[in-house]
Amino acid sequence: MHEYSVVAELVGALTQRLADIDGTVTKVHLRKGVLRILSDRALVNAYEAVTQGTRLEGSALEIEIVPAQVRCKTCAFEGAATVLQDETFHFAIPVLSCPACGADVNVLAGRELTVESVSIEDPDDG
Amino acid sequence: MHDVRFSGEDILARQLKMAESNFERLREQGVRAVSVLGAIGSGKTTLIERLIDRVAKCGLKAAAIAADSAGDDDHKRFLSHNVPSVNINTQDDCHLDAHTVEHALDHLPLKDLDLLFIENVGNLICPADFPLGTETEIVVISVTEGDDMVRKHPKIFAQTDIVVVNKTDLAGAVGVDANRIVADYAKINPHGVAVLTNARADQGIDELMRALGIPCTNTLW
Repeated sequence: MHEYSVVAELVGALTQRLADIDGTVTKVHLRKGVLRILSDRALVNAYEAVTQGTRLEGSALEIEIVPAQVRCKTCAFEGAATVLQDETFHFAIPVLSCPACGADVNVLAGRELTVESVSIEDPDDG
Repeated sequence: MHDVRFSGEDILARQLKMAESNFERLREQGVRAVSVLGAIGSGKTTLIERLIDRVAKCGLKAAAIAADSAGDDDHKRFLSHNVPSVNINTQDDCHLDAHTVEHALDHLPLKDLDLLFIENVGNLICPADFPLGTETEIVVISVTEGDDMVRKHPKIFAQTDIVVVNKTDLAGAVGVDANRIVADYAKINPHGVAVLTNARADQGIDELMRALGIPCTNTLW
């Protein structure tokens, strides 16, 4: 249940960032890389618990999954990682290897955990 | 209604910065740090004990950090090998974090060390999202965890550079084929290195030392 630790970091960072912005927070849009080992359900549950008593209480946590992008260390390939669809694995998993030549790769996307935006209801929205 | 856009800084940026700071500090002192992850009972402590002895034979100086929810059993085992060790009790936390490691580093004679082994809390999943600032991470699996371990945790193993399959002597007793674990790992992580060990009997440790790239000049090795 390390999602609680992650959400505590999130709430701390958001509270600081939104300190000078008025209005009611209605939604937090999170981008989560597919390679992160974080359960969406646990994140949402933790968010509800951790935001209680803060100005984020009652807001929704929306999670967008970011697919894995790789850059080959050997050839010029840059793009989506191959997703292994093996039925013995219980879900599809990106393979961190070059789809073009099979060499080792650097991960360009798929490990991020960032806040994309926060929706705020202005006091005069009525 | 309006949206506040964010610059895309990682939520765990604070953690990442602390991990980078640990990494730099260790590098400046010439210490290679290896973090050891794995489930409870996978054999992390025994494996580190064997590595500590091997490293000493090679004329290098090692230290350890032992992390557990409670107690100092692993810490005492490391101390019995005549190396500096720091004990961390994470209490209710299921993983180590870079900040805790930073404090542990304050209690180690870094300038005298060549290697530092950090044993994380016995937990395969939670530590994965909390980098500590080590140069290398290894994940230890015991054959007793079943030969479907990699298939059950594909995301972990897709991102792990070195996997140790330990307690190979027990494979027959629990009806597990260690090679199946290795084959699954190769499929999901074509560039990873798998090492088979029986740490209790000191088997496979030399292969692990090579996989870790630990130089050894001692002729006994």
